Amino acid sequence: MNAQPLKAEIAADHHPLAGQPMTGAEVIVQVLADEGVSVMFGYSGGAILPVYDALFRYNAEHPGEGGVEPMPLIVPANEQGAGFMAAGYARASGKVGVAVVTSGPGATNMVTPVRDSMADSVPLVVICGQVARASIGSDAFQEAPISNIMGACAKHVFLVTDPGRLEVTLRTAFEIARSGRPGPVVIDVPKDVQNAALNFRGEGRLPIPGYRARLQTVQSAHVSDAECATFFAALEQSKRPLIYAGGGLIASGASAALRAFVDDFGLPVTTTLMGLGAFDTTDSLALHMLGMHGTAYANYAVDDCDFMLTLGARFDDRVAGVPDKFAPTAKFIAQIDIDPAEIGKVKPVHWHHNGDLRLTLDRLRQYGTRHGFRPRQDGRYATWHAQIAELKRAHAMNYDRDSAMIQPYAVIEAINRITQGRAVISTGVGQHQMWAAQYFDFREPRHWLSSGSMGTMGFGLPAAIGAQFARPDAVVIDIDGDSSIRMNIGELETVTTYGLPVKVVVLNNVGDGMVRQWQKLFFKGRFASSDKSLHRKDFIKAAQADGFEWAKRLENKDELSKTIIDFLAFDGPAFLEVMIDPDAGVYPMVGPGASYAQMITGDCIASRQQVAESEAARDDMF
Amino acid sequence: MRHTLSILLQNEAGALVRVAGLFAARSHNIDSLTVAATNDPAISQLTLVVHGDEDTLEQILRQTRKLIDVLDVITLSLVGDTVA
Ligand SMILES: Cc1ncc(C[n+]2csc(CCOP(=O)(O)OP(=O)(O)O)c2C)c(N)n1
Ligand SMILES: [Mg+2]
Repeated sequence: MNAQPLKAEIAADHHPLAGQPMTGAEVIVQVLADEGVSVMFGYSGGAILPVYDALFRYNAEHPGEGGVEPMPLIVPANEQGAGFMAAGYARASGKVGVAVVTSGPGATNMVTPVRDSMADSVPLVVICGQVARASIGSDAFQEAPISNIMGACAKHVFLVTDPGRLEVTLRTAFEIARSGRPGPVVIDVPKDVQNAALNFRGEGRLPIPGYRARLQTVQSAHVSDAECATFFAALEQSKRPLIYAGGGLIASGASAALRAFVDDFGLPVTTTLMGLGAFDTTDSLALHMLGMHGTAYANYAVDDCDFMLTLGARFDDRVAGVPDKFAPTAKFIAQIDIDPAEIGKVKPVHWHHNGDLRLTLDRLRQYGTRHGFRPRQDGRYATWHAQIAELKRAHAMNYDRDSAMIQPYAVIEAINRITQGRAVISTGVGQHQMWAAQYFDFREPRHWLSSGSMGTMGFGLPAAIGAQFARPDAVVIDIDGDSSIRMNIGELETVTTYGLPVKVVVLNNVGDGMVRQWQKLFFKGRFASSDKSLHRKDFIKAAQADGFEWAKRLENKDELSKTIIDFLAFDGPAFLEVMIDPDAGVYPMVGPGASYAQMITGDCIASRQQVAESEAARDDMF
Repeated sequence: MRHTLSILLQNEAGALVRVAGLFAARSHNIDSLTVAATNDPAISQLTLVVHGDEDTLEQILRQTRKLIDVLDVITLSLVGDTVA
């Protein structure tokens, strides 16, 4: 349990400001600057005012080139927006996203993005103001038990009760957020701690010996020769191996390692929703997404494979709804993950390594190459590759291209023809999210920002804003639903306030399309609360009112491609509402409780077998 | 199957709640829980009695080890096979 001394601690000669008197608030701002924070998101209020003031002064005293603020604070309409902006920033950049909010309602508005980031392993540091220490527990104005609430949602939460530990706590929060399996860390800072007179130290972290020791073990875990041998003995036997990659691959920066592994060994790759972009989806060995709404060819390949290599993925219920029937013919399942709790959690595996994905993939590749494993040269997968190509051809994604109504898939395809898999795409939650996942190409990691595990409607717009701050030169497009965008529609104004060239697309099917799809399937078409035909909102007026110069509604199929070209070419924020076929469905669909073999593929995608749709069991899980 | 777990915990604000909360959030009933001081004032020792099968126990142990203030988790003994 001995903590390894951290490099930063040994190397930190002397911080130029070490020994300087500072308030707690100034200490917070200085540590944020030291951690390389270049933008943060938040909303002010009584209990966080000292920090806001210290930040204001810091920015005024440290102007960058052209007088720009070194750490601008971006103000949303609602703290939930700030949280998702920080998350969008983190997802698009791989850096820690930072949000700063006041106590009570400010902090509770932050619960959803914190939980969402936990569930999708996104590194955040969230600083919340809290009532003064003496008032904690007295039902004071704007007091909420944030450490209790967030403790259940975050990777970790600190309540700073000792001003002397404020500085080291902040530094430690960044360390925890970005290390191991990343996640959100919340720091609750009472107002009197922000006002405390302190001396800046410029170094030091909290002792968290248990965490650091476990991290060290995992990060240095080496795959032994014997383990490599077992792995390759199984792979040698395999005729139809498949890689199933998840978000962990992106979080660990292992995309290049996967590319090299596939280049050498020729295993086809399917990814989860969270893993989109981990492997270039346009590659001939890419099968795009698997799972409940995965491509038919990916799901059939899962059914056909005899060897599965699981990388940073967790067999969740949207992928392995029936764990026993998932990859039913795989004789060998291997799993690599940084989180020991994910190994074999859902499905027993035959081989696993609990460690860093990039190091492990490189190690396996080198071992295999050194031991003469050359499937590319000996052509052992030629038949399998031909089978994969045939699956992709025979069960390609498709839809009713002749319909008079605008099909949502056609909208995504038209955008993709221009952006070519290079745009950063965020989404709300629902059918539009699945269509975007299915019909966009993703050539690189961190181009797909979507609330996967929590499935939080309202994620898309603020996430796009945060991503645009992370990638000022990238084309950032929010593909949203008419219901999802309503949840954080206040953030339209944030786009124009900060002059961000974010492109917003609302696929309007006049309601909660995904809910209706389930109601059609499992509730005899009773559309309880999911129809919005009586809703009065004029999205175009709303966008214009919030300062969007380019705001158009597309209703005519003939104008689709011209409008999309015009929309994407606009130099600045642009808002496009598309009135789509309200009956358009998401296919394929593996219903709850169904196996991949029972997948419904709809009218336009070829199925391998005829399945009675009604067989899929009714399920409470949405 | 009943299991006795011993958890060494850093004495931080909210640490005990996080352990108890983890068990509750993952539907584990705690049959009994005692907290004791150790000779290091910064560390306390929790002793929990829980019941469940081996796989569920293994999973909750792994989740507990992910808590930042947890120093160590050990299974002390398996007592009987009746559900309390
Ligand atoms: C915050 C939140 N509330 C409720 C849900 C449940 N839900 C999932 S999809 C959906 C409908 C989404 O409608 P819309 O954004 O218009 O997308 P569509 O399915 O129509 O494309 C609902 C209500 C959710 N995922 N998130
Ligand atoms: Mg809708």
